[in-house]
Amino acid sequence: MFSSAAIQEIEDIRAKYPNARAALLPAIYVAQREFGWLPPEAYEAVADLLNVPKATVRGVATFYAMYKQKPMGRHLIQLCTNVSCMILGAERLVDLLKSAYGVEPGGVSPDGRFSLVIMECIGACGTAPAMLVNDDFHENLTEKNLQEILEKYK
Amino acid sequence: MITVTINDKEIKLEKAVTVLEAARSAGITIPTLCYHEQLERYGGCRLCLVEVEKMPRLQTACTLMVADGMVVRTETEQIADVRRGILEFLLINHPLDCPYCDKAGECTLQDLVEKYGPGKGRFKEKKRKVPESLQDPVIVRNMERCIMCTRCVRMCEGPQGASAIAVINRGGHSHIEPFSGGRFDCEYCGNCVSVCPVGAIMSRLHRHSYRPWQVKEQYETVCPYCGVGCTVITQVRDDVIKRVIPKLGSSVNNGMLCSRGRFGYEFVGDNDRLTTPLIRKNGVLAEATWEEAITLVAKKLSEIKIASGSEAIAGIASPRCTNEDNYVFQKFMRAVIGSNNIDTTARTGYAGAQSFIENIFGQGATANIISGLANSDTVMVIGGDPTTVNPILGLQIRACARRGGNVLTIGDFAGLSKFSPKKLLPGKYTETILLEAIVTALREKKGLSGSNGPLESKIKDISVTAADAAAKCGVPEQQLSAFVDLLAGAATYSLVIGKEIVQSTGGSYKLLLLAAINYLANGRIYMLTEKANEQGALDMGCAPDLLPGYRPVAFPEFAKKYGAQWHAEISEKPGLNLFAMIDAAENGSLKAMYVMGENAVCNIPNSGRVEKALKNLDFLVVQDIFLTETAKLADVVLPALAWAEKGGTFTNMERRIQLVRKSVQREGLEDWKIIAEIAKNMGYGMEYVSSEGVFHEIAKVSPLYRDLTYEDIGKGENIYPYKGEPLRDVKEDIQVDTASAVASAGKLYLQIERPLFHSGTLSTRAASLRNIYPQAVARISSATAKALSLTEGDVVNVRTKAGSLSLFVAIDKDGDSSAVAISNNFERKGAFRLADYALDQVTKAPCIDAVEISIEKVTA
Ligand code: SF4
Ligand code: SF4
Ligand code: SF4
Ligand code: FES
Ligand code: FES
Repeated sequence: MFSSAAIQEIEDIRAKYPNARAALLPAIYVAQREFGWLPPEAYEAVADLLNVPKATVRGVATFYAMYKQKPMGRHLIQLCTNVSCMILGAERLVDLLKSAYGVEPGGVSPDGRFSLVIMECIGACGTAPAMLVNDDFHENLTEKNLQEILEKYK
Repeated sequence: MITVTINDKEIKLEKAVTVLEAARSAGITIPTLCYHEQLERYGGCRLCLVEVEKMPRLQTACTLMVADGMVVRTETEQIADVRRGILEFLLINHPLDCPYCDKAGECTLQDLVEKYGPGKGRFKEKKRKVPESLQDPVIVRNMERCIMCTRCVRMCEGPQGASAIAVINRGGHSHIEPFSGGRFDCEYCGNCVSVCPVGAIMSRLHRHSYRPWQVKEQYETVCPYCGVGCTVITQVRDDVIKRVIPKLGSSVNNGMLCSRGRFGYEFVGDNDRLTTPLIRKNGVLAEATWEEAITLVAKKLSEIKIASGSEAIAGIASPRCTNEDNYVFQKFMRAVIGSNNIDTTARTGYAGAQSFIENIFGQGATANIISGLANSDTVMVIGGDPTTVNPILGLQIRACARRGGNVLTIGDFAGLSKFSPKKLLPGKYTETILLEAIVTALREKKGLSGSNGPLESKIKDISVTAADAAAKCGVPEQQLSAFVDLLAGAATYSLVIGKEIVQSTGGSYKLLLLAAINYLANGRIYMLTEKANEQGALDMGCAPDLLPGYRPVAFPEFAKKYGAQWHAEISEKPGLNLFAMIDAAENGSLKAMYVMGENAVCNIPNSGRVEKALKNLDFLVVQDIFLTETAKLADVVLPALAWAEKGGTFTNMERRIQLVRKSVQREGLEDWKIIAEIAKNMGYGMEYVSSEGVFHEIAKVSPLYRDLTYEDIGKGENIYPYKGEPLRDVKEDIQVDTASAVASAGKLYLQIERPLFHSGTLSTRAASLRNIYPQAVARISSATAKALSLTEGDVVNVRTKAGSLSLFVAIDKDGDSSAVAISNNFERKGAFRLADYALDQVTKAPCIDAVEISIEKVTA
């Protein structure tokens, strides 16, 4: 179930939109934050709060890649491997993540700490390679600083 | 006037419609996939692209509105090219499994590819794979075949209002799924099946059993289940109903059906059907010939009549049988047996409530057009969930809400809860004071018009303040006054009354209060009706005090008039009603009973007692299609033809008379024919050649159906008041029963669950419906479950003064924590086994809302 803060947040979101369906995207985002991903209960909770059918809530959420249909690690790494990043070594970073933390693209590390999602250009080509960890932006990555950065996320 | 030219044909139109509609009106076909006349326009598939002069690109005919002077072409080379292209894209992911697909032969995609091509695809990648889902009892979902027209989703969200399915994922991976991703667990109306243009959502019932072109006959008839009386089409192959589909454009259900109507037809050909008459010999029912059975019944009834008098014999007619069956049966009881001991289970609520309302507002007060609900600006619902009792009527209330109307409910009804109803939730047994407060407030706001004296004199006596009501029923004052404001502001108000109010303690007084609200708000009344021909059975005179057309038998002139027409002497003494019959059977004054098409044991409250009373009779005849728990008690069982095997008429809750057409041939006799045979054996000629012949007599005898013919009915000249004379409209003084019940804290009470998937015991004979809802359960709230440490699936013993049942527990998280809800659909496991009752003094309906019930876990 939602925390009361989350319920309040969704109600505030609802108030900003002309109808409940319009409020779905940010509301689902809150649910994802609360549950870590989007299990059926998360959809049901949003559906109940907004009085939108639960099948519709799930339908909307599955359209977008940034809504997670599978359990996630505590922290989400979104690493770009598109052209600029690739040229500057992003694929080695992928290997490193695998050897150091045991996390594969699309997967979760065995300790549940990290999930890894491969991105197609996150608009940081000039400072490639780049990644997002949760909502934080990290650029000019190297095999060396990658691990240092990730140490901050327990 | 708008003039458009389509394919060189000039078309004149009164008002702006879409190019597609304009073309269709002129007989020009434009191919479509996503368009469906019942659904909101979508413009998604692009198949309907047409060329419009002075418009640069091709336009979708299904969304483009015509304008004066528009010139349109629907079949050019360019268009054919584009259509071919679209179809090629659709086929990228569509399996080429037509030879194996049930839809082949009536598949829009197949037809279109046949017409426009392409003969071959150029796509080299792999097709998308989605396993076929056979997880549901009645629906098969094959998403490889889905072409994403979203018709199913628009149907389910729109007219059906269930919103059980949605498009999931994106792009080439998108398809349709219910919330669970697997099972639908929905209302199983199958309306999505109706609109799917391909074989992606299909009925499971006839899977791989025939091809559409093998359907040689189809018949327009009426659903056998509830009082809505939906128009259905039965499709038949080799005398087996293969499929039941709704009729588009029917004024009752316009292309919609509920799960019972669409999937509940399998009882017709069921293996358990009775095939020969049975006669009890040495205590067991043994097969007999028709001749033996009919002679025996005639002989026994004649003997009893001579020995104990006509009044020692009673008959129960049937709200499931046709008007013709019921008419002949009551005539048999009156003219041949010589007694007015004739009634139906409509006595358990509908009959008394209707005559109570008609006594206030005049005959036909409850005969209102169902689709009118959708156009009301305010609908108030009390006493039962319309979406489960009369599902298609329920859809009209949902439609009212969708159009911005106010749906007001007293009580909580799951099928409406997603439609933002304004709810008032009075505490147990406190509806009366709440209704009194509403009447008081509404009278103060609206005043009295003086047009209904007897009712107004009652209204003047009612005075309960909102504060008083709030203190007693727990509904906050502001909520109540907001509710009253909506009622007072309503321009077109409708009131829907369910059986729970009628079957409650003080039911007639509550009906009076509801009538008062209806009067003050100037509305129409709808009474939920559980069985297909409850209204018709009453119209036909299957009541102890009323002859066909509601002529009181106690008025000598009517008894004489009908007697003259029937060439017999008709007793002026009103007969025993349903409940008095059971009493009389119990005390031995009733010697014989003839039950036609009714599972009396199950459908009369306190089933255990009914069973004992019937066993106490000297002679019991049961005429039915199955060996029901009632038939098992009989001395003679007579097998009848079922709905779909005979012709006749049903009268629905709107009082619309409709033709029931014979769809399949089966050896046997119609109910009316069996009775006519027995009458003949008793020396009374009943020489009808067909059900139409019977109807001909009804139209002569009953002032209500005066001069109607099957031909008129077939044409649709069939809605009350027909051609008949208006009937007696006496406004008598209104009597009410003001009994009340008091809830004791912590006690549990029996509640009758009226499930969407069942109707009487008949639906439990349909395998598909049984697969959806397989057995009786004791439904309790999570609070009760917690308090009694029960979990879903536990076996419990539920016990009342009247009896006990062992049932599985089902937990309903939003359930009423003072109730144990049990359905009355499964033989030997029906709620009526537990329901002791007192009768409302006025409506004579059984009050079964105050049955204390205990629940106890059975430990293995
Ligand atoms: S069967 Fe009816 S309720 Fe279920 S998904 Fe189809 S349209 Fe919706
Ligand atoms: S399942 Fe049928 S109706 Fe629904 S989107 Fe697919 S093709 Fe259209
Ligand atoms: S059960 Fe009632 S609502 Fe359902 S299809 Fe039959 S007549 Fe219509
Ligand atoms: S390519 Fe990686 S950020 Fe643009
Ligand atoms: S029918 Fe017009 S776009 Fe589908």
